[in-house]
Amino acid sequence: MPETLVKKVCASVLATLALAVSSHAIAQNAGGTMVMIAQPEPPSLAPYLSTSGPIGLVAPKIYSGLLDYDLQLNPIGDLAESFDISEDGKTMTFNLRKGVTWHDGEPFTSADVQFSIMEVLKKFHPRGPNTFREVNSIDTPDELTAVFNLERPAPYMLRAFSAYESPIVPKHLLEGKDVREADLSNNPVGTGPFKFVEWKKGQYIRLDKNPDYWKKGYPLLDRIVARVIPDASTRTAAMESGEVHYGAFGAIPNVDVIRLRDFDEIGVTTDGYAMINPMALIEFDVTKPPFDSKAMRQAISLAVDRQFMIDNIWFGYGKPATSAMTSNYAPLGLYTPTANYPSTADVPAAIALLDAAGIKPDADGVRATAVIDLIPYGEEWRRVGEYLKQSLGDIGVKLELRYEDVPTWLKRVYADYDFSLNINYFYQLPDPVIGVQRHYGTDQIRQGTPFVNSARYSNARVDELLEAGAVEANADKRGAIYAELQNILADELPVVNLFEMEFLTVYSEKLKDHTVSAMGPYGSFDRAYLDK
Amino acid sequence: MSQTAQRSRYVLKRLLQAVPVVIAIVVINFFLLQLAEGDAVDVLAGEAGSATPEYMAQLRQKFGLDQPLLVQLGVYMKNVLSFDLGYSFRHDMPVAQLVLDRLMPTMLLMVSTITLAVGFGIVLGLIAASNLNNWRDTVISVFALISYATPLFWVGLMMIVVFSLKLHWFPTSGMENVAMFYEGWERVKDIAHHLVMPTLTLSLFYLALYTRLMRASMLEQADMDYVTTARAKGLTERRIVFVHILRNALLPVVTMAGVQVGSLIGGSVIVESVFAWPGLGMLAFEALFSRDLNLLLGIFLLSALLVVAINLVVDLLYSFLDPRIEVA
Repeated sequence: MPETLVKKVCASVLATLALAVSSHAIAQNAGGTMVMIAQPEPPSLAPYLSTSGPIGLVAPKIYSGLLDYDLQLNPIGDLAESFDISEDGKTMTFNLRKGVTWHDGEPFTSADVQFSIMEVLKKFHPRGPNTFREVNSIDTPDELTAVFNLERPAPYMLRAFSAYESPIVPKHLLEGKDVREADLSNNPVGTGPFKFVEWKKGQYIRLDKNPDYWKKGYPLLDRIVARVIPDASTRTAAMESGEVHYGAFGAIPNVDVIRLRDFDEIGVTTDGYAMINPMALIEFDVTKPPFDSKAMRQAISLAVDRQFMIDNIWFGYGKPATSAMTSNYAPLGLYTPTANYPSTADVPAAIALLDAAGIKPDADGVRATAVIDLIPYGEEWRRVGEYLKQSLGDIGVKLELRYEDVPTWLKRVYADYDFSLNINYFYQLPDPVIGVQRHYGTDQIRQGTPFVNSARYSNARVDELLEAGAVEANADKRGAIYAELQNILADELPVVNLFEMEFLTVYSEKLKDHTVSAMGPYGSFDRAYLDK
Repeated sequence: MSQTAQRSRYVLKRLLQAVPVVIAIVVINFFLLQLAEGDAVDVLAGEAGSATPEYMAQLRQKFGLDQPLLVQLGVYMKNVLSFDLGYSFRHDMPVAQLVLDRLMPTMLLMVSTITLAVGFGIVLGLIAASNLNNWRDTVISVFALISYATPLFWVGLMMIVVFSLKLHWFPTSGMENVAMFYEGWERVKDIAHHLVMPTLTLSLFYLALYTRLMRASMLEQADMDYVTTARAKGLTERRIVFVHILRNALLPVVTMAGVQVGSLIGGSVIVESVFAWPGLGMLAFEALFSRDLNLLLGIFLLSALLVVAINLVVDLLYSFLDPRIEVA
């Protein structure tokens, strides 16, 4: 919807509506302390420097973005009351909300927006330089208006204004300082519904209600405490005993969730991850044998039983991948199902493909041997590796598993390129320009940088399509561009996508209205309350 | 020379001797940690989701990771000698502050564990030895064997299942009830309440060890000639056990306790992890996985100092327990 022409979103109407609907909740349910799990402990509270998951859980309660997104991914106002996009798509005007103050009492103005985007996000945010690359300058004709001047239209940008993806930070506390070293990273000051109070490292982060929050009567909670609990079994026990109310991003492992979901007082949902779109996948080194062979990679994609992995390793949560891009892009018209992506294994087809390509088995039935590296982010990935070892053995690809700690693994895969196959997962995020491009573009072969094109795949046509898709404002044309892209990627398979992951949020039934926007766990929680 | 003067001279001498030892420990640790693949910048960039090569090079320069190893060591030593433990880039905080924040919970857990384990270990060992081969001895020995052989994490989790989830006697985890933010006495009670299960879990293993040690030591002393002499002098059995045997039998237990206090800091990682106890063990564990070497070195240095201090205390204790052992 927002891609086309002049659109004005009167978000304040929506906000007022929300106020009216739940005004009874304010009276009855205000107050109380919500305890959530933040695991692992965030490295800092600087969402403008890092997109680390635990930072994303805590920071959007403190910082706000220009926009928020409803469950259908439509933008709604946050710090911006409304916005206009010019006819040619090259000027975006944000009308800011009146009377918003920072937690230290300073007024929030358009200068903060200009500073946040141009001086902080565009320079220091891991994805910011890419997201805001078309932004040449931001004008501030008055305190409540910010005008973005773009080099070329950038329709994808509209989905990147959430508090998680592009937090607006206080100019008066960062200007003239080394942004990366500023005291703000451990003492955040935002405009959001909760104020930072204290961080006991290794224990908890405490946020208290912001009494001057712009949305009158909100937030409902008095306090949010984010607790660090390293052991997964203990997290489950703490949820079961009612000591914590909320655990997102698989804080409670699926194996425990299938037990907890039978409890009356505990709820489970897969909602709230639509803006994140995590995808599990196999990365190859396509520059070296045996995985420089397209037939080999296609055979692997055919030989894996995606549904089996979902059913047996993730206890039914997930969806088989059908393309290089997530099916959650379907409402945007960007998703096309492709060939070479069966949901259950087709071993005969895979073997026929290898035979036809002249990749013959030796006397022991082995066509290739390789070491497979596994993402060290939990036991499930080890199971995935064990499954692949067995299933790829069926087509004569003999695997040896390697499981290392995070720094060793990152260095091996992204700095040294010392791997053949690597199990990983990527966030595809709300738009392919933000989440998918980094995987396939030639300019994304950046040695030493994690989570980019480690396959070192390079295809001139793919590069062209990625470029064209980023600046195409017409939804139909854009869909056609990405359809061609997906078909090329499904044929060449520099990366074999396995399944669209479904993260689980486990919560106490007493906690209401926690998943009310597309940002889910990365939301502000201003409407959340504890039912008494 | 008076005994007090002799003691203080001894303490001073031992402290001076400890300086080169501590320096050697720092240097060895420094080089050992370099053996791990990857550095803090790799981890930070990995967590951040992505980063440009220029950004990563800039970070390495900022952290001084682009310098030759010997220069890095030199900078670190210079800092340490001026009582500065350096800066943790991951936490964006001085190492000293991070470590001191965690010292209190660690000491709490350590002191309560050692007290419980040594105290009950001595009593149980004593009971077992004085009831050699009857049912009391058998019960205590079997208990010691089982608790020695049971993995700590399993004991911890079972405690949580039984005492938190089924009986609701204790909280599952943490050092205090974070939803309440108690003050004053209420807070002390709250922390004590949270301390029970981690302490029990961690002491169980050590308790078994001290029980067995005490039992063996008592039995060994009971065969000595001085015991026969004491008996011949007509002393009561009670006096022989508590005054003569016990004092001598305690020495190996004290030695062992001294050695183990050091290992308790690192050895409590599992218990800290299971009960989300914010101690130094867990901090060291996380520092290792994020390649936060300044922080890790700081923790190592602190534990080295702690071990030196405790060994000194143990040596002094010897001379109190057995006046024949002289400090010099």
